[in-house]
Amino acid sequence: MISHRDKFPLAIAALAFAFLGLFLLYPLINVFSASFLDRAGTNFTFANYARILSSSFYLGSLTNSLILGVLSTLLTIALGVPLAFCLARLPIPGKSLLMALTSLPLVLPSFVAAYALVLLLGRAGIITRFLRDIGIPFTSIYGMTGMTIVFVMTLFPFVIFPTLAAFKAVDVSIEEAGQNLGSSRWRTFWTVTLPIVMPAVLAGGLLVFIDVIESFGVPFVLAEDKPILAVEAYKLFVGETGGNPASAGVLGVLLIVCTAIALLIQRHYLGRRRFSTATRRTAPELVVKPWLRRLASTYSWGMVLIALVPFFAIVVISFMEFRGPVMQASLNLSNFRDLLNQSARPLINTLTLSTAAAIMAAVIGVPIGFAVTRFRSRISDLLDIIAMTPFAVAGTVLGIGLIISFNSGWLVLTGGWLILVLAWAVRKTPFNVRAAAAILHQIDPSLEEASINLGISPLMTFVRLTVPLMMGGVIGGMVLTWVTVASELSSTVVLYSGPWATMTIVMFQALEGTGAGIASAAATVLIVFTVLPVALVYRLLRRHELGMM
Amino acid sequence: MTVISIDHVSRSFGTVRAVDDVSLEVADGEFFTLLGPSGCGKTTLLRTIAGFADLTAGQIRFGGNRIDTLPPHRRNTGMVFQNYAIFPNLTVGGNVAYGLKARSVSATEIKERVASALRLVHLDAFGERWPHQLSGGQLQRVAIARCLVIEPEVLLLDEPLSNLDAKLRVEMRAEIRQLQQQLKITTIYVTHDQEEALAMSDRIAVMRAGKLEQVARPQDIYRAPATPFVAEFMGTTNLLSGTVARRDGETLCIRVGPQEFRAVGDGNESESVSLSLRPENIRLLAAGETPPPGWSVFEAGLGPIEFLGAMTRIELRIGNGAMLRVASLDVLPDELKARDRIAAAYDPRRITVFRG
Repeated sequence: MISHRDKFPLAIAALAFAFLGLFLLYPLINVFSASFLDRAGTNFTFANYARILSSSFYLGSLTNSLILGVLSTLLTIALGVPLAFCLARLPIPGKSLLMALTSLPLVLPSFVAAYALVLLLGRAGIITRFLRDIGIPFTSIYGMTGMTIVFVMTLFPFVIFPTLAAFKAVDVSIEEAGQNLGSSRWRTFWTVTLPIVMPAVLAGGLLVFIDVIESFGVPFVLAEDKPILAVEAYKLFVGETGGNPASAGVLGVLLIVCTAIALLIQRHYLGRRRFSTATRRTAPELVVKPWLRRLASTYSWGMVLIALVPFFAIVVISFMEFRGPVMQASLNLSNFRDLLNQSARPLINTLTLSTAAAIMAAVIGVPIGFAVTRFRSRISDLLDIIAMTPFAVAGTVLGIGLIISFNSGWLVLTGGWLILVLAWAVRKTPFNVRAAAAILHQIDPSLEEASINLGISPLMTFVRLTVPLMMGGVIGGMVLTWVTVASELSSTVVLYSGPWATMTIVMFQALEGTGAGIASAAATVLIVFTVLPVALVYRLLRRHELGMM
Repeated sequence: MTVISIDHVSRSFGTVRAVDDVSLEVADGEFFTLLGPSGCGKTTLLRTIAGFADLTAGQIRFGGNRIDTLPPHRRNTGMVFQNYAIFPNLTVGGNVAYGLKARSVSATEIKERVASALRLVHLDAFGERWPHQLSGGQLQRVAIARCLVIEPEVLLLDEPLSNLDAKLRVEMRAEIRQLQQQLKITTIYVTHDQEEALAMSDRIAVMRAGKLEQVARPQDIYRAPATPFVAEFMGTTNLLSGTVARRDGETLCIRVGPQEFRAVGDGNESESVSLSLRPENIRLLAAGETPPPGWSVFEAGLGPIEFLGAMTRIELRIGNGAMLRVASLDVLPDELKARDRIAAAYDPRRITVFRG
C-alpha cells in the first residue's frame, strides 16, 4: 500500500523519471544501440567496436583523452591543494577579493581561454612573434602542453572550493590532539589534516577529470593533429562524407565508460572513508614567519591572476584591429561592429535560450533535490543516481543521442530551439539537484512538518513554504546554470541549426575561419554577460546571508 | 471532546521495533506524558499520532474516528516541535495565521483569532516582529499559539522545553500546564525529563524499548513503580537484590548481603527479589534519637558526602562493598564526619519489592 506520505515524492519521482527517461536515458540507449548496429542499422554487430579499437588513430584518441585527463587532474590537485590551504589557514592580504576572483574561471568559458592562449602563444601569436623577433626560437603551444595548461588554469576552482571548505571544517582540536601526542606541526598536517581533507580533494579532482574528458572546445582549438575522443566523436557524427552514427556511438560509449570508471573509483574510495567532523572550533589562521607569508601571498595571488590572464588578454585583443587574421597595433571597436553587422540573433539566442534552460533546470532539479533529500527510499536512491547521470555524459554524446532520437518519428525536435534548451537543462540537472539538496540540508524538516500539521497539504507546503525558503539558493543556482549554459559548446555544436546559433557557435565558426577579431569580440561580449550576473548574485547572496543573521 | 485511543500500535524501522504493540487511552482534556530515555520510542509514537510516521500495525482513533488512515494535514492535531519550527520567512503574526489561511478563514476573523492567540501566550505586541528577533522562550510561545489558534482536537508536544535554559524551563512548564487546564485540550507530551513529567502530567506512561513499562498518575508512578526500570528512571533510588529470609505478617525480611531489610510486599521464603528504597526515605538518626514507630533501624559506615546546598547526599557502606544513597535536607557534612558509624532508619512501607 502506498502511504500518504509517499504520494508526493512518488509523483515527483514519476515526473522526473519521465523527463530524464525521455531526454537522457532514451538518447543514451540510442547511442549505445547505434554502436552495436551495422551500416544498414538493422543487425547486431561488434564490427564497429572492432573497427574503432583496431584503428591506431581512434585508439590514440582514447589514450590521449585519458592521459590529458589524468595529467590535468594531478597537476590541478598539486597546484590547487596548497592554494586552498593558503586561503584557509594563512594570512593572505585581500583574501575576500582573491576568493571572488578564484571563482571567475569557473564561469568563464574554457575554450575562450584556449583561444586566448592561441592568440598569445599560437603560431602567429603575439608573444610567439615577439619571442621570434628577439631571436628566441618558440614553436607553439598546440598539443598536450597547451591543453593541460588551459585545463589547469580554468578548472582549478573545482579543487579549490571543496578543499578549502574541508580545511576549514577540520576541527582545530583534532590537530591539537595530534600535536599534544607529540607529533610536529608538519607531521600532523601529513598524517591528520591531509587525510581528512582527501575526500574533498578527490571530489574536486573527479570534477576536473570529467570536465577534461568531455571537453570539446579546448581540444578543438588546441589539439591540432592530436586526436581527442570528444572531438573525434563529433567529427564522425557530422562528418563531411555523411555522418557515421555507429562509429560516433562507439566513441560516445567509450567516453561514458571513461567517466563512469572515474566515478566508480571515487565512490569506492569515498565509501571506505567517511570523515564527519563535527566542527566545534574552526582552525584559526596560522602565525607564520614573514618570508613564508610573503611566499604564500605571492603564490596565491600569482596562481589566480595567471588564471585570469587569458580572459584579460581576450578582452584587450577584442579592441584591436584585425586585417584578415593579422592583428594590428591599433585600438578600435571594429571587431564589435563586424560582430553586430553579422547579426544580433546569436546574442539574443544565447540570452533567451539560456534563461529558458536555467528555469527548466531549476524546475526539474529542485523537486528532485527535494525528493532525494527528504524521502529516503529505494526510489529516491534510484532517482539520485539517474539525476547524476548527465554529469558523466559528455555534451557531445548527449547531443548525438538527442539527434538520433528526435530526428524523426513521433517527436521531432531537431532544427528547433527546444532541443538546445532540453540538452542544456538535462546537462545542468545534477548541479541543480545538488544545489537544491544543499539548501534543503540547511532547512529543518520540522518546518515542513509544522506546516503539514497545521493543515497544509504536502504539495502546498512545498510550494508555499519550502520553495520560498529555498529561493535565495535556487536563484543563485539558476544564475550559475545560466552562466555555464551561456558558454556551453559541446552539445550546442552538435545540436544547433541555422537561426538558432548562439554566441559560442559564432566564436566556434569564427575560429574555424579567419575571424579572430569577431571571435574575440564575441568572447568579450560573453565574458561581460557572464561576469555581470555572477557579480550581482554574489552581492545579493552576501546581503541575503547578512540579513538572515 | 476528544479521547485518544491507541490500539495495538506498532512501528518498525527495518528489524527494529521502535513502537512495539502499544495500547493506551488518553481521556478527554487529559495531560498525558510519554516519558522514557532516548530511543525508547516515545517520539515515534507521538509522530504516528501526528501522521509523520506510518503505522506498521494497529489503529489510532480520536473519539470514535479512526485517524491513522488520514494524511497528516487532515488530522487536526497541533504539534509543538522540539526546535519550535517557526517559519523564518514569516512574522510572528504570519506564523500564527499560517494554519488559519489554509482553512480559508476570513481575513477579519484571522486577525482577531491571531490577536487572541498571541494574548493567550502573552505575546500581544509581537505580531509584527520577525522570528530572529525573539528569544527561545518567546519562540516557544509562538509555536504554541500557532497550534492553539487552529483549535486542534489534540495538542502534541515533542520535548518542547529541551532547548530552553533550566530556569526558563521551569517557568514555561507551569505556563503550558496552566494553558492546558484553561483550554481543557487533550494533550500528549513527550519528554525524557522525569521532573517535568511529574510536575505537569495527569498521567505518565513510562516507555522502554518501544513498550509501555507503566501507565499511572505521577504520585503512583513515583511511589509505586511497577518495575525496577521505572523505579530507577523516576528519580534516584537504591536498587538492591536480595533473598526473602522470612515472612512476618505482611512484612518481609529480605537479606541483602550481611544486612537485613524489612519491607511491605509480596514474596515467598527464599525467593530472590529486588527492592527499591529511595534516598529521601532514609533518615539519619542523631545520637540517641529514636525513630518513628514502625520504622526499622540499621547501622552503617560513612562513605563519600556531597553537599548540594539545599540537601546533602551521603553514601552509606552496608557491608559486602554495597553502598546505600541517602538524601538529607537537614544534615551538614561536618556533623557527620565526626562520626564513625551512622544509625539510619526507614519506613518498611516505603520499600518497593519486585519479584522475579
